[in-house]
Amino acid sequence: MRSGDPRFRVGYISHMASPIYLDHAASTPVRPEVLEAMLPYYSVRFGNASSTHRWGRETRTAVDEARERVAACLGAHPDEICFTSGGTEGDNLAVLGAWRATRASGRRAVAASPIEHKAVLGAMHECAKEGAEERVLAVDATGTVDLAAARERIGTDTAVASVMWVSNEIGTIQPIAELGEHARSVGAIFHTDAVQAFGKIGIDTRTHPYDLLTVSGHKFGAPKGVGATFIRRGVTLEPLFYGGSQDRGRRPGTENVAFTVALATAMELTLAEHEREGARLKALRDRLERAIVAAIPDTVVFGRGAARAPHILNVAVPGVDSESLLMALDLQGVACSGGSACQSGSITPSYVILALGVGHEIAAGAIRMSVGALSTDADIDRVATLFPQLALKARELASA
Amino acid sequence: MHRPTKPRVLVAMSGGVDSSVAAALLVREGWDVVGVTMKLFEDGHALPDRPCCSLDSTSDARRVCEKLGVPHYVLNMVDHFGRDVIRDFVAEYARGRTPIPCVRCNTFTKFSDLVAKADGIDAEFVATGHYARVVDGELHRGADDNKDQTYFLWGIDRSVLRRLLLPVGTMTKVQTRAIARDLGLPRVADKPESQEICFVPDGDYVTILRRELPADAPALSRGAIVTVDGTVVGEHDGFAQFTIGQRRGLPGGHAEPLFVVALRPETREVVVGPREALLGHSVAAREVNWLVGEPPRVGDTVQVRVRHRAPLVEARVVRFDGGEIELALAAPISAIAPGQSLVLYDGERVLGGGFIEAARSIEPQHAARS
Repeated sequence: MRSGDPRFRVGYISHMASPIYLDHAASTPVRPEVLEAMLPYYSVRFGNASSTHRWGRETRTAVDEARERVAACLGAHPDEICFTSGGTEGDNLAVLGAWRATRASGRRAVAASPIEHKAVLGAMHECAKEGAEERVLAVDATGTVDLAAARERIGTDTAVASVMWVSNEIGTIQPIAELGEHARSVGAIFHTDAVQAFGKIGIDTRTHPYDLLTVSGHKFGAPKGVGATFIRRGVTLEPLFYGGSQDRGRRPGTENVAFTVALATAMELTLAEHEREGARLKALRDRLERAIVAAIPDTVVFGRGAARAPHILNVAVPGVDSESLLMALDLQGVACSGGSACQSGSITPSYVILALGVGHEIAAGAIRMSVGALSTDADIDRVATLFPQLALKARELASA
Repeated sequence: MHRPTKPRVLVAMSGGVDSSVAAALLVREGWDVVGVTMKLFEDGHALPDRPCCSLDSTSDARRVCEKLGVPHYVLNMVDHFGRDVIRDFVAEYARGRTPIPCVRCNTFTKFSDLVAKADGIDAEFVATGHYARVVDGELHRGADDNKDQTYFLWGIDRSVLRRLLLPVGTMTKVQTRAIARDLGLPRVADKPESQEICFVPDGDYVTILRRELPADAPALSRGAIVTVDGTVVGEHDGFAQFTIGQRRGLPGGHAEPLFVVALRPETREVVVGPREALLGHSVAAREVNWLVGEPPRVGDTVQVRVRHRAPLVEARVVRFDGGEIELALAAPISAIAPGQSLVLYDGERVLGGGFIEAARSIEPQHAARS
C-alpha cells in the first residue's frame, strides 16, 4: 500500500509522476484486511446486536470480541472500553462526562493545555458554560506542557484535567505519566487524548496512570467514524446521549458492528508492526527534516529538541505563508497540511503554533508533514528536494 | 482525465454560474486550470443563502472543480480585503460619498493580490467570470450589453490585461446558463444573480457602518435636511443613510418631490432639491487609471458612464492634470454621486476611469465665463 498504488491516485493529479501523501496525521486509508473484516457485517451478519435471536447473537459476539481485542491492545479490561464515533466524541465524553459526573462534589475547575485538539477545548468551553472554571496549562516553546506549572494548576478543586499524549500538529510527546500521577494524587480525573499516540508510542493502561484515554480509528487504518474511549474501572462519566443500555448506558444507540470489528482489527495490525514501523517512520521524518534544514538553514522546526512522536514534522520557512506553499506543493502532487483549515477550507494561523509563543508571521507559515503507511523512501527523496525548491521560490516572490 | 495542453491559468471562482462556466470552458480548451475561491470576510459563513462568499458557494466552486477534474483552493484574503475594500467603504460613507467596493475589490484584491498568488503557482494567466473582453491587450465591453461589467474593471493595472482571460465576456447570460447545463453543471446553472455587495447582507450597509464606526460618528448622527437655498425642512438620523438621487426618508408634503442633491459632512446636512437640481452637465474624477497606451487628451470626445448599466453619454475632456480629469457632458446626467466610478469609453474599448469627485450643474465653460 504505497503511494504509487493507482487506487490512491486522485483524479487531477493522476497525470503526475507520483502523488505523495504526507498527511497521515489527518487520516489514513482503510487497511485492506480491515475492510475485509468489516464486509460480512454489511451483508449476511446484519443483525442488531441487542436482538436475542441468532442474528443478534452473532453480532453481539462480534462486538464483545471486538471489545476484548481493543481492551487487549490497550492493556485494559473489556468493560473499560467504550466505542465511540471517534476522537471528537471521545474527547467530549471524557471531559464533559467527567465534569458533569463530579461537579456536584464541589470540584469546579476543568484544566487542559492550550494545544489540545478543538474537541477538548470545545468541551472545556461547554463545561465553563455550565459553571466550571477553565484552567489553561502552560506550554513551553517546544510545545511541551510545563510540569511544575501544571502541578500548581491541577489541585483538589479540579474535576477533570485533559492533556493530549502526542500533539497532532507538532508531534511533541507530553509528560503523561507525571501529569496523570499528579492529577490522580489530588483526586482529579485525568484524560489523555491519545488520537495521535496510538501505534506511535507504547500505551499500557496497566502501568500508565490515566483514568480516561481516547483513540480514533481512521488515524491507523480503520474507517472514519469509529473510535474508543478507555474508562478506568471506578470512574463514572455522565453519558452524552440517553436511550438504550448499549455499552452499559455510556453510549446508547445500536452498535455499529462492522466499525467495532474494524477498530479491533486495525489496532491489532498496528500494534503488531508498531516498533518496526515506528523506526521506519522516524528515519523518514528525520531525513526529511535534515534535508529541509540543510537547504534552508533558517527553517523553524516546531517541537525541535523535545520528545516527539516519529511521524510528524512541522516547519515554517520565514517569509513564506503556508497557503501559497501548500498550494504549490499540492499542484506538484504533494499533500501536506497547514494551520487549521476552517470548514470552507481557508487557512488561518494555528492556535497551537501561536501557543508556542512564536510571532504571527512564523505561525502563518507552519506546514505539517506526517508520514505513515503510504510513505516510501522515494517520497521522502522527492519532497526533500521539492519542498526547499518551492519554499525558496515562494520566499523570493514574497520579498519581491 | 484532464491533460492540459495550454499554460496554467488561475480561475477566480465564486461558486456562481459565470465563473463556473469560465473554468469549464478553459478546461475544455485545454488550459491547465487551477480554481480558487477567495475568502474575503469573516461572517461569510453566517450567510448561507447568499450567491457568493458563503460556505455553500465555496463548496459549489469546489464541486465544480472536482467535476472538471481540476484542483481547487480557498485563499484567505480577509486581511487585505478588509484593509483595501471594507475599510474604504466605511470611510467613504463617513465622508458623505457613495462608495463602489466592487471596483476596489477588482483593483486591489482580484487583479493584484490574486495575481500575486498566480505568480506563486506559476500560473501565467488569470481568469474570472466577468462580462468583459480582452482584445489585443485592451479591455472591451462584454458582448451582452445588459451584463457588461467593465464599469467595475477600469481600475486594474494595465499590465494585467495581457495575462487576463474572460471566457464568458463574449456571451450573453442566457448563453452562459445554457452552457452550464450543457456542461453538466445544473446546480450552478440556475443560481440567482448576485447584484448586491457581497459583504453587505440584504443591502443593509448602515448596519455595517454602525458596526465599524464609533457610536457618535457624525455620519450616523442627527442632522438637518435643508433645501438648496438653506431652508430647514426636516431632520435625519445620519447622512450616511442618504445617497445622491434618493427620495426615501425625506419629508413629504412639498409642491414637487424632493431628492437628495448633496451631502455636507462638515455640517451633517442633507441637501434636497427638485429633480432638475440633480442634473449634472460635467463630471470630475480622481485616481484616474488608463487601460490604453494613448489616453484621451483635453479636447477629445469620448463616451462616459457614471453608473453600472447606464447608457453611454458623449463627453469632451476639458481638463486633465494627471490625477484629476473633468469632462463636459453632451447631455446632462441625473444624480452623479461622488465616490462612484466615471468610466471612459471609445465605442467598445474601455479607455480608463476614476472615482467621481464632483458634478457641476452648469457646463464648465459657462462657469468660466460668469
